[in-house]
Amino acid sequence: MLITLKETVGLINDGKILHIAADDSLLAKLPKGKWIGGTTPYFMSEEGGILTKDRLFVNEIDFAEEIRIATYGKYNVFQIVEECYDNGLTMLIMPYGSEVAAKYSKEAPDVEELLMHPTIGWISGADLEAGGPFKVYDGTSATAYDDKAVVMYIKLPEGKSAMINMVNIFSDDKTDPVIRFDDNDLSVTDCTVNGQKVNFAEYIEKKGFDNRMPLVADHNGSYINTSIKAIENGTVSFYAPVFRNIEYRFATKFEDYASEFKKKIDEVGAHAPVFSFNCILNYLYGDLNGKKTPPYAGPVTFGEVAYQLLNQTLVYCEILG
Amino acid sequence: MEALAQEKVEKLLRGEIKYTSSNLALNMLISKMQKRIQADPANMESCIKEMDEFLSKYPIVAKVDLANIMAL
Repeated sequence: MLITLKETVGLINDGKILHIAADDSLLAKLPKGKWIGGTTPYFMSEEGGILTKDRLFVNEIDFAEEIRIATYGKYNVFQIVEECYDNGLTMLIMPYGSEVAAKYSKEAPDVEELLMHPTIGWISGADLEAGGPFKVYDGTSATAYDDKAVVMYIKLPEGKSAMINMVNIFSDDKTDPVIRFDDNDLSVTDCTVNGQKVNFAEYIEKKGFDNRMPLVADHNGSYINTSIKAIENGTVSFYAPVFRNIEYRFATKFEDYASEFKKKIDEVGAHAPVFSFNCILNYLYGDLNGKKTPPYAGPVTFGEVAYQLLNQTLVYCEILG
Repeated sequence: MEALAQEKVEKLLRGEIKYTSSNLALNMLISKMQKRIQADPANMESCIKEMDEFLSKYPIVAKVDLANIMAL
């Protein structure tokens, strides 16, 4: 729900457990309490997509048996698999461009046990016009960080479990060329296309670059996107890393991004997501300002986490049982 | 895991049958395991053990997934 600063302070002072997304100017005014937060002024609210710096998006976590809040840097972020509840949900927020986010994005897919623990989260952002600051907040001390991950561990009652899922409008055409990379990296120069080594930037430019279309990898029917950030001096950089030993193809093109997004939302039909985080690229290319995407409401984010870092995706969590 | 279920899961992990779950984590896990088994078929035993542990972590949806896999 999108509410005022006064209403948010009231909820914190009432001892409610909260997840909060808002512009930094508002988060900085919140008192200590049982909350974590991240910066973004973009939201998919119940009233529609909106850019606002005078309201906060708040999820009240009324399904938790208990919670713990912690912060981590790049050297210990994967302690989340050790320190989470056995039957629970881990929610993490990391600042855009931070070392901890880069570390998480590169290494999460190889972390043993991560898939055993429902893990959802997002990368905090800022007004695209302003270009920062990108922060996360540990509400227990009302402290802001631009270089740490803030994590809320949520313990679920017996008989309940968390299910993480996503809405991704992209897929591939299996007859398209297969692209592979030599390393796990956020920027590359070379790749192989159908086994032949080429300069990736040249390959993209020859093919006709459309920055709305990410690379996609098929993980047993779940497509994971890697969005292209920039092409400069023969180097291609990404919003999330590419990985060696993964087959990529460019996403299949479609006529209209906005209508494709709406169609996919209707198809997936989650029942009652308790959290949802939608990518800023979907917001921009899908023309979501003023548009509603029920039942998904939440912050518009600069990266989404469903176990690993995703791009151009909406992630959500439902509580089952 | 029951013998018949294990037989089906082994086929799935070898890529002989195909199944996409509504559980994102399971799809990610299957994809990871298929690569491990492709690299070395001897990894099957540890994958089955891990899959067993995974399915016990998600009991509500695991029932549906196992029933669907058994029906393939």
